Amino acid sequence: MIHLDHLYRVAVHLAKDPTEAEDLVQETFVRALAAHDQFDPGTNMKAWLTKILHNFFFDHYRQRKRWISAEEIPEPESDYWERLPAENPGPESRLLIKELDDQITAVLKRIPVEFRAPIVLVDMGDFSYDEAAAILSCPVGTIRSRLSRGRKLMQQYLQAYVGIPQEIAKRK
Amino acid sequence: MTCEEAQELITALVDRELLDPERSSLELHLQECAVCRLALEQEQALKQAIGGAGERIHAPSDLRHKIVSDQRIFPDKSRSARRWRDYSWPKPQLAHPALAAALVAIAILTTFLLKPRDQPVSVAALETYDLFLRDELPVRRTEDTDQIVKELTRAVGGHFHPMGYDLTAMNLRPVAGLVREIDGRKILVAIYQGQGGTLFCYTFLGSAEDAPPNAARFFDAAKKMNFYAFSRGRVNAVLHREGGVICILASEMPMEKLLALAQSKAKPS
Repeated sequence: MIHLDHLYRVAVHLAKDPTEAEDLVQETFVRALAAHDQFDPGTNMKAWLTKILHNFFFDHYRQRKRWISAEEIPEPESDYWERLPAENPGPESRLLIKELDDQITAVLKRIPVEFRAPIVLVDMGDFSYDEAAAILSCPVGTIRSRLSRGRKLMQQYLQAYVGIPQEIAKRK
Repeated sequence: MTCEEAQELITALVDRELLDPERSSLELHLQECAVCRLALEQEQALKQAIGGAGERIHAPSDLRHKIVSDQRIFPDKSRSARRWRDYSWPKPQLAHPALAAALVAIAILTTFLLKPRDQPVSVAALETYDLFLRDELPVRRTEDTDQIVKELTRAVGGHFHPMGYDLTAMNLRPVAGLVREIDGRKILVAIYQGQGGTLFCYTFLGSAEDAPPNAARFFDAAKKMNFYAFSRGRVNAVLHREGGVICILASEMPMEKLLALAQSKAKPS
């Protein structure tokens, strides 16, 4: 199904839980069909669908401010990244990767959506700054600054994992 | 450049979105600043970790089922299937689940490309042209012209029949036929292909009101017939009426040529 994984990936980082993410994706397809005459064949359907998803989310869910509380984030382990082999991960490494994925997801949900949305679009959706700006209806410069600030926030939360020196964390 | 000024530029560099002169300035700064070099490495690692986490997130199968069974997305599934039914030949059986999944993907794409039902049936019919060229139309090819005419006529209970034009002079031969149903109206589609390109001949019961409102009307004084020219994307179309039957010729050939063809083939009522 076209771009389903991508849309779910975006939705799961916007919605408060997987059920709401599924609803968001399903509604995106409904709205896309209703607005299909606005899609210009040959243009980027993935970006078009993503914009619909974002618009729907911001129109209907944004006011609820569904941030995950800090208490829900698991405690990190300090030497996590050092224990990750780069290639051919074994069973133990796969568990660590899973743990890291969970941490990334949890930390993403912890930061405000203004910073989270461009990170999800650029880092997970492989969108360019121009495309992300079009999807989020904001200037390209805003995308860059929000990415920078959003990743700083993530690095602070993941500090123990990525081993960021304190002086850098403070400067950021 | 200060380290503070470098921060946003590092982000853009990580994302390969940094151009000169900012890129050159940052690279100069990085050569001199170990702290920012480390920050660059950390941000690259973070981006990679986020991307990896995303790649391992997949939509649950339940969601796929929910979407496919959503009546708002696939309204009246049983009727939808009939709308696209190829009446002339049996539909191939799905031999493998992967094929079924691929067809669902095509169905989604096809649904996106369908026009609203309130548009003229003549315009909606033209969508089959693009779908055919993309191999997304469920037709089975044959070179048997008689079979196409016979099967299409049988599909509408003999109430009318395809025009059955001989276009060999234009290096076009019938290659397939199907019946499309739009809003309860059956439309016979005869598909011609050859060195002359691709041409669709649509036949259905209707009136001149089935021509799009914005179509250009041409009156053939010799035959005392109206011809309506319109386009959808790169596809040109000419509609005319023979009694209670509407015929539309659609092709990417120039409108003048298509209009001349329609005028030469049309028979006054």
